[in-house]
Amino acid sequence: MGVVSRWIQDRIPLDAGRLRELTNEPVPNHLKRWWFCLGGTPAYLFVIQIFTGIMLAFYYQPSPRTAYESVAYITDEAAFGWYLRSMHKWAATFMVAAVILHQMRVYFTGAYRKPRELNWMVGMLLLICTLTIGFTGYSLVYEQLSFWGASVGANIAESVPVVGPLVKNMMLAGESYNDRTLPRFFIMHAAILPIVMIVLLFIHITLIRIQGVTEFGATEEEKKKTFNFFPDHLYTEIIMGLSLMIILSALATVLPAEMGPRADPLTTPEVIKPEWFFYVMFRWLKLFSGTVAVISSGFIVFVMFLWPFIDGAIRKYTRAKEASVWIGILGVLAIIALTVWEASVAH
Amino acid sequence: MTGRNDEAGRAPDAGPEERRGFLGKVSGLAMSIGLIGGYGAFGAVAARYLYPAKADPKSWFFVAVLREFEVGSSIAYRAPSGARINITRRGVGESLADFSALSSTCPHLGCQVHWEAVNERYFCPCHNGAFDHEGKAIAGPPAEAGQRLSTFPLKIEKGVLYIEVPTAELAQVELADEVPTGPGQDPCLFQRFPTREV
Ligand code: HEM
Ligand code: FES
Repeated sequence: MGVVSRWIQDRIPLDAGRLRELTNEPVPNHLKRWWFCLGGTPAYLFVIQIFTGIMLAFYYQPSPRTAYESVAYITDEAAFGWYLRSMHKWAATFMVAAVILHQMRVYFTGAYRKPRELNWMVGMLLLICTLTIGFTGYSLVYEQLSFWGASVGANIAESVPVVGPLVKNMMLAGESYNDRTLPRFFIMHAAILPIVMIVLLFIHITLIRIQGVTEFGATEEEKKKTFNFFPDHLYTEIIMGLSLMIILSALATVLPAEMGPRADPLTTPEVIKPEWFFYVMFRWLKLFSGTVAVISSGFIVFVMFLWPFIDGAIRKYTRAKEASVWIGILGVLAIIALTVWEASVAH
Repeated sequence: MTGRNDEAGRAPDAGPEERRGFLGKVSGLAMSIGLIGGYGAFGAVAARYLYPAKADPKSWFFVAVLREFEVGSSIAYRAPSGARINITRRGVGESLADFSALSSTCPHLGCQVHWEAVNERYFCPCHNGAFDHEGKAIAGPPAEAGQRLSTFPLKIEKGVLYIEVPTAELAQVELADEVPTGPGQDPCLFQRFPTREV
């Protein structure tokens, strides 16, 4: 043992061999199938978001008087500001897409069933956090659509029975959008939600380590084959990650994030659209009156949350063992239909 | 744990043991109440700190002298926040029922409506809400919920009309008068109300 490692061993008596054993869990071979990596993709993107987000926060100023100008500064003047901002934006888009795809793979492989019900619920919380962080981030730019998105979002919260007005006041720091609103969105976006997500991810991954990954469709032989987490799986992830960075960089260069018109609280733009992943919600809002739309979407989220137990009951008390597949297909088709509908019309 | 068992072994009569169990429970309960109360107080302070300190302040402002306000005409009133309020005189009388002050904020989810002269309606671009000239919803989610454009309180004193509006100013009121440009912005739509100013 060298002098340095002896010196460290004397003070921190950690056994390197044991440490390797702890972290070096064998990974089942079927994780080499790409669709089982969809959970690792949002995790990698999350790291990109933390890095680029911290960079953006060096210049961003959360107040209605300065927010738009500071983002314009990042985009037009700060060296490589356009690149970091565009990476943050594209990685956010990819992250939402990856989380949705990951959830679909978990759903359609039945991986949420016993004993993984609780991890599905943790996953649902991660989905909600991901969408909320997307929403608050979009509001920070203080473009027209940022402003109106935030106002409409707060008013949606207000139409929730009983607690609505309280939630709206907490969101906006007042009855309507004011000078104290943007700092709230910023703190949510850059501090509270990331911390909550790190905690949730930790629980999520701990549960995966305890329960193991499901082995959907794997043959007996395949089940026995494993490979090492370290270095094999880690290297794979790092290489995949670099490819992802290259794709994101290409997108950031070809389609960089731009600046829309500055927020004007007195004029709602003639065509108003949220980010693509809220198109479903937005179309839903046009179809029903406020309260009906809010209560029904709350109910749908609630059902998704408790789905492992609902599915369990269906399988126990009816003969429709694979009902979840058909319900899932219908759900996905409905989501695609509403999204395409919203995307294809102005109003 | 073992100590307790030993003692119980020595005294077959469970009296003191039971009492000790009871006292243990009481002190445990007292401890939990203290801890919850203490940390709860910190939580409550934080929550109260985050809740806005006071409701947005409002105040009464002059609108017009009644005898100069023609029946059927409208005033495009601007609140300090910059919000546009359409104040109309409906009748010849001088009671509040003869006036209305229509807000341009959609009752559905708070977007700004604008007057569409061709369709004779206020239109909300957010979810396709529409309202007639009196503010009653005629299409879209607001109509489904039976809503109407909200009104601001008015009062008449000595032949003068006043309106009560929020006094807070928004940061970009100055900017709002520049004709906005860029996608989603139509300078022609900047004409918000059927203004026939007096
Ligand atoms: C930030 C978002 C998320 C991250 C970073 C993440 C990460 C991961 C990772 C790395 C795995 C390992 C297996 C795999 O690669 O598929 C996994 C599994 C799992 N995830 Fe997620 N996840 C996220 C969101 C979600 C969501 C939205 C759900 C569903 C509501 C969910 C439910 C699950 C469940 C139940 C498993 C265990 C599945 C199995 O063992 O096969 N996760 N997640
Ligand atoms: S906000 Fe006006 S229709 Fe929804």
